[in-house]
Amino acid sequence: MTPELQERIEQIASRYPSRRSALLPALHLVQRESNGYVDGAQLAAVAELIGVPVSEAFGVQSYYTMFERRPVGKFHLQVDTNIPAMLAGAEEIVAQLERSLDIRVGETTPDGLFTLSTVECLASCGTCPVIQVNDGYYESMTPQRTDALIASLRRGVLPDLPVQANFGSVCNVLLKRRGTPNATSLAVYRQTGGYRALPIALAKKPAEIVAEVKASNIRGRGGAGFPAGVKWSFLAKNTGKPTYLICNADEGEPGTFKDRQIMEYDPHLLIEGMTIAGYAIGANLGFIYIRGEFAWIAAILEKAIAEARQAGMLGRDILGRGFDYDLVVHVGAGAYVCGEETALIESLEGKRGNPRLKPPFPAVVGLYGCPTIVNNVETLASVPFIVEHGAAAFMHIGTANNFGPKIFGISGHVRRPGTYEYPLGTPLATLLDAAGGVDGRLKAVIVGGLSVPILTAAEAEGLIMDYDSCLKSGTMLGSGGIMVMNESTSIPRVALRAIRFYAHESCGQCTPCRQGSHTVATLLDKVVAGRGTLADLDLVVRLCRTIKGTTLCPTGEAFATPIEAMVTKFRDEFAALVR
Amino acid sequence: MQLTVDGRKIDAVAGQTVLEAARAAGIYIPALCYHPKTGKAGRCRACVVEIEGMRGLKEACAQEVRDGMVVHTDTDRVQQTRRLVVDLLLAEGHHNCISCQANGTCELQEMAYRIGVERPAFLIETEPAPLDVSSEGIVREADKCIQCGRCVLACQNHVVNEVLAFGYRGSHAAVVCDDDRPMGESSCVLCGECVQVCPVGALVLKQPREAKVRPSETVATKVTCPFCGVGCQIDLHTKDNRYVFAMAHEGQWLKQPNRGSLCVKGRFGLDFIDAPDRLRTPLVRKDGELVEASWDEALDLVAAGLKQAKDKYGPDSVGFFTSAKVTNEENYALGRLARAVIGTNNIDHCARL
Repeated sequence: MTPELQERIEQIASRYPSRRSALLPALHLVQRESNGYVDGAQLAAVAELIGVPVSEAFGVQSYYTMFERRPVGKFHLQVDTNIPAMLAGAEEIVAQLERSLDIRVGETTPDGLFTLSTVECLASCGTCPVIQVNDGYYESMTPQRTDALIASLRRGVLPDLPVQANFGSVCNVLLKRRGTPNATSLAVYRQTGGYRALPIALAKKPAEIVAEVKASNIRGRGGAGFPAGVKWSFLAKNTGKPTYLICNADEGEPGTFKDRQIMEYDPHLLIEGMTIAGYAIGANLGFIYIRGEFAWIAAILEKAIAEARQAGMLGRDILGRGFDYDLVVHVGAGAYVCGEETALIESLEGKRGNPRLKPPFPAVVGLYGCPTIVNNVETLASVPFIVEHGAAAFMHIGTANNFGPKIFGISGHVRRPGTYEYPLGTPLATLLDAAGGVDGRLKAVIVGGLSVPILTAAEAEGLIMDYDSCLKSGTMLGSGGIMVMNESTSIPRVALRAIRFYAHESCGQCTPCRQGSHTVATLLDKVVAGRGTLADLDLVVRLCRTIKGTTLCPTGEAFATPIEAMVTKFRDEFAALVR
Repeated sequence: MQLTVDGRKIDAVAGQTVLEAARAAGIYIPALCYHPKTGKAGRCRACVVEIEGMRGLKEACAQEVRDGMVVHTDTDRVQQTRRLVVDLLLAEGHHNCISCQANGTCELQEMAYRIGVERPAFLIETEPAPLDVSSEGIVREADKCIQCGRCVLACQNHVVNEVLAFGYRGSHAAVVCDDDRPMGESSCVLCGECVQVCPVGALVLKQPREAKVRPSETVATKVTCPFCGVGCQIDLHTKDNRYVFAMAHEGQWLKQPNRGSLCVKGRFGLDFIDAPDRLRTPLVRKDGELVEASWDEALDLVAAGLKQAKDKYGPDSVGFFTSAKVTNEENYALGRLARAVIGTNNIDHCARL
């Protein structure tokens, strides 16, 4: 390793309270500097520099999908084939790439120019199919655009292929600046009402902010819907240890692409929210854990943070109020489970993203063993509004117990897939209309990201999109990622793709998740291939039912509910495939 | 304090886990990933129980006892979960007890037996993984690994050799040596701690495997390791009075000088016991030839020689060297012989040579 590279790793390490946290960033850096992969010798050098055993460094490297241990092509084409992508024709794009590059998925062209891979949801559900090429996304890919991309890459040029992403807002809180030119800059953010909440917050006592957020009844937007203010109040007090705030930006639930709208187009909104939240909970350091595939969004955040620091909105003595606070952007490396808060903390500590046994909860023992609050991007981005306009104004939006605006990501068979900000409690029909209406006849819909029970068209009739209504209707609001399926959709194929995702993303710690997801995937593979039996279907359902409640973390059993729902609600379609 | 497990009142001490308290009272709760030396892990899910007043299933290995706690291990839910765990673990890999070294001592087998799983509910076809026989003392069989993580925790935290870790993830997750190389080519120092804690037949010692003797056939005798003065407590496993292999004695491991672990010498260096060229009687040189002698003859000869040297040249003409291979008590006895019987302070230890 060159002294210059060592120096850069040292610099990264200095940002963290613990050196080991630099392991993921160091591996990213070395990989980028060495033709896209890190071999055994380089790994040993990184391990030694950071101060971890080679075995643990390898454990980390081989855990995350973005770390390569063998040479890859100059252009690594990674096609998202998860469900929203599948509904948008990603499989055809894969077939087209296999033909035009004359390689199969997992292979590299003999000239070393291209490697072709298929990957899990890249959070571009509204602009699918999407191909990740090295560190960037190519979205809304059609056969023509794919041809153009390959032709350009053959000339060695990463082309600029503009994307028209759909969005809309009736609340103007979270997507207020979506579509405003240069909204990522501090100047535009301020001109459009930004950084009004921060001085208000800093003039109050931290406890008053916590009380205000608690009073707003805002429920965590990550998926579980736990009241954020209540979570804050669980923080262990007087521990003599620092308190940390972590923003969960590991957006990876298939069908979910909302958080990136905020980070990519309105980063200061998140920064302001995190600064207020940090002040409220007594933190002096906050982290944004962003999924590794969002490298360019991490760069946008870094730039915005630097600008905010320059303007005295971050760093020492913010706005002259004696509050010191800074933010670190931590880039993940490809692992769905890291969206689970304790796995995220482990990952941020430079380890494999294995969820921890709970209790203790992060609010008591979190990052580096210190009290820690983990909140979703959308939750934290709502905080400035609550502080500026008050809990009452927030509760003016939405319905009882389900207050505030929500970004719904609508993908699949609709005419204008995209992100739409509506009050909680909006009818599903209104949202589908906003997205241009169903393309064809509605067959089924998954309304809260992949891990919630699928609804048939009949069940979705009259559905109200908030936490409590969805629960009453036999599903969950989850992340608000709505995947729409018309009559051309094969539910068994959707189920198979879903379980393959869960099996691929299992951390492997606990038996029911590791072996359960793998076993169900094997069984459904048999069924879809026409080699299955009715007994296999029964076994799938029985396994799903028994596994619920037995896993180490909630993500472990996440496959059980949706798969059970698909197989039981569309049993005829599965049964038609068996021997 | 007291808690109730399946209607039975048992005593417990603050700080104990439900698992520890139940086991101390003789109540069977299976636990494949928990080991006293490596602690709770939450991985296997075999030990889950239901506790009144708490939602869902709780890991008995992680749950601290509270006075008056009411625990159920015999509910349908708990039984179903145990069966699920066994079924899933048996479904994958290749768990064939017939030829397995761990047959009779395997904790997965014991759990399956207790539950009454004759054959798993389903089987998933998988390619057999190659055996790793590269190490001089340990055979690794990934197909029998149940991913409990005991070996990893033991290697990383208990003996701190930092060789074993989990690599990859999901159903591909595997225990790896360093950067996933054969054990014989890794930084492994052959302490054998991983074998010591492995609940199944995924990590076994080569010595008994090649001798075709299963641990279930041996008799364990607690002895003190003869290699150095630490005094490590060893369970010497013998069959028909012949040495087969050595395990660290784990009874009250925290009170043992070796904390239930061994080094390469104690683990693998004891096969001299039955070596054919091992000295079995004293040898006395007669006419330039070493010939077998009785202990009486040999000791008389030594005593006479020492006495003669002392009488002729004084006590300080005699010196003693003791060995790191003997116990403190034996070293003490030799010290007495030198100082009280011969009358010299010329006594030293081979470690200073």
